[in-house]
Amino acid sequence: MTGSAPFVPRRHDANRLTLLALVAILPPVSVALAERGAAALGVLGVAVILAVIWAAVFARVRGRPFGWDSLVTALVFAALVPDAVPLWQVAIGFSFGLVMGDLIFGGRGRGFLSPAAVGLAFLLFSFPVPDMAMSGMAARVAALGAAAILLVSGLLSWRVVAGFAAGVIGLSFSAIIADVGAFVPSATLLLGLVFLVGDPVAGASTNVGRWAYGLLAGALFVLLRLAGGIDLPAIVFAALLASIFAPLIDQAVIWANVRRRARRQRDV
Amino acid sequence: MKIRFGKGRDPAFGVTSDKIVANACVVSSVGLLARDFAGTVLDVKVAEGQQVRRGQVLCADGHDPQIVFVAPVAGRVSRIHRGARRRVEQVVVTTEDDTDSPFDPGNADRNGVALRSLLLASGAWVAFRTRPYGRIPTASARPSAIFVTATDSNPLALDPALVLAPQIDAFRRGAKALLHLTEGPVFVCQNAGEALIEPEDRLRSATFSGPHPSGLAGTHIHRLWPVSQSRTVWQIGYQDVAAIGHLLADGRIATRRTYSVAGPGLRAHTCVVAPLGAALADLVAGCGAVTAGDPPRAISGSVLSGHESPFVGRYDLQVTVLDQTVLDQTVRGPAASSLLRRLLPPAGTGATIPSEAFERLFPFDLLPVPLMRALAVGDIETAERLGCIELVEEDLALLSLRCPSGLDYGALLRKTLDALWQEQVS
Repeated sequence: MTGSAPFVPRRHDANRLTLLALVAILPPVSVALAERGAAALGVLGVAVILAVIWAAVFARVRGRPFGWDSLVTALVFAALVPDAVPLWQVAIGFSFGLVMGDLIFGGRGRGFLSPAAVGLAFLLFSFPVPDMAMSGMAARVAALGAAAILLVSGLLSWRVVAGFAAGVIGLSFSAIIADVGAFVPSATLLLGLVFLVGDPVAGASTNVGRWAYGLLAGALFVLLRLAGGIDLPAIVFAALLASIFAPLIDQAVIWANVRRRARRQRDV
Repeated sequence: MKIRFGKGRDPAFGVTSDKIVANACVVSSVGLLARDFAGTVLDVKVAEGQQVRRGQVLCADGHDPQIVFVAPVAGRVSRIHRGARRRVEQVVVTTEDDTDSPFDPGNADRNGVALRSLLLASGAWVAFRTRPYGRIPTASARPSAIFVTATDSNPLALDPALVLAPQIDAFRRGAKALLHLTEGPVFVCQNAGEALIEPEDRLRSATFSGPHPSGLAGTHIHRLWPVSQSRTVWQIGYQDVAAIGHLLADGRIATRRTYSVAGPGLRAHTCVVAPLGAALADLVAGCGAVTAGDPPRAISGSVLSGHESPFVGRYDLQVTVLDQTVLDQTVRGPAASSLLRRLLPPAGTGATIPSEAFERLFPFDLLPVPLMRALAVGDIETAERLGCIELVEEDLALLSLRCPSGLDYGALLRKTLDALWQEQVS
């Protein structure tokens, strides 16, 4: 410990947060492995190996300590990617996502996108990806378990989740749409919400902003889902678009806060 | 006026403070630390080895010679420590027989000009700190309000009402006198319970409750009288107000304060009466360390925002004694996690990961994560727009504790405030 405050050791160390996220993503990954077998194992292996390699390369080039957080990206990516995708496509998509979505900005917490979402979006754009979303009940339960772990530990904002749900329900029940209102959320949607939309680095960083960001992501998901009919691209692009708007949402919240405080200064 | 804060947290670190024992203490030396006074250059008026009386001027402020720092004890100047660029960092006085130099209070309790010159001459002036910037106010400044902080929500702090009970008359006299220094209100901020003062027109009472930082001046000021570049308030601690009351009564400066000495390294929670700037080793001696042998690691101030230093700070009213082994066990959980800790060593400094937890710890109408990011990258303009000017170091201590980045936002804030101050004066 150094000679400066606080003199209580920090409990929320970056490595521990990574560990928590890993614990949360393990059940969904295990379910995926159990359901799909060898194919999923190949995807997982490629993603994990590439995650370690890229993190090591950037740590060496930048002269920074090695960070384990890219492993979480690898597991999230592996849990969401359909297993019929050839491994070389997985490798390219994942590498693009990790490097362009995270490492190039200086590592976790310095970028503004979810690297897994960037990788999946790249994959969906570049190659014909078959619709093989996870749909079993076990996968849903595992995704809900992950959500619970992250919500309790504060890594997932309940405001984002509530905003997303409000966005989905609000748009589904409005006049335009009839059939989406009856659907049961798939495991892909749940995982995407928890790990792509809910990534604290990609979302808004103010409480009011989190509601707006969640609402936006939910509304975008419904619109994209209606247009395409498949969950995976809908949630990936909804997450990506919403996180691009997150800094703008935060700026609006900051602007409102500055205005409100200036008014208080005059009144008191 | 009653205000309750829901946001914040009282960090527990394995020590409770239900029973407090008093302990007599013999202080061998006291120190004046330049670090306590942001933006002040100490101009030494004594020589090493010189005999000084209590209340004699040790140093003046290089920018404003009317502001003086006096000796809290009678004795001999044993050391003048200079740091980088020959700047005085520490003046140490070794205690000898007690002689003091009384002042003439005259009509200072009724006359603003007389009060101001009495406070300046007796060194009581340095008890004031401005908001924004957290500096000693200039000799001619007039604040828009004065905040008397008779609350302390820091872990292991003493209850101000208990400390003030024997000297409540002096406290009231001091608080009333402060009305002569401002045209605005004087707020006495206290915990729930019996009112410390009788409120009158400009002398107002406010009651605060809730978890830390509900007892810090910054929280009170933000709620009652938000400051800006163009509106300054002063804050002063409750024991300093009582000291002004004593000074006005008999012209003798009151340099003794009641300190809380506690922490995981001590067996009991102790309260010690000692002069300002007392050596920490003397304060802690006789308080019953948990581990015999090595001297315990003592910190001036609270565990959240204190400093490691040989002497107790001018504005600190507590000493926290740490014990590494006890601290590790109580904070990091039982031994089961120790294997995990070895496999997963703490990460180095990194970037902030936003979380709702920061909002839950921060009872200000400011946006913590954008502010932390602005401070971390040194974006002074944005930090000012986000309201950093309303804060001082201690207000950000909980955020530093919670943040996985490992940054000390208090230190970053001080740099930002100093830069803003430079911009403002030039």
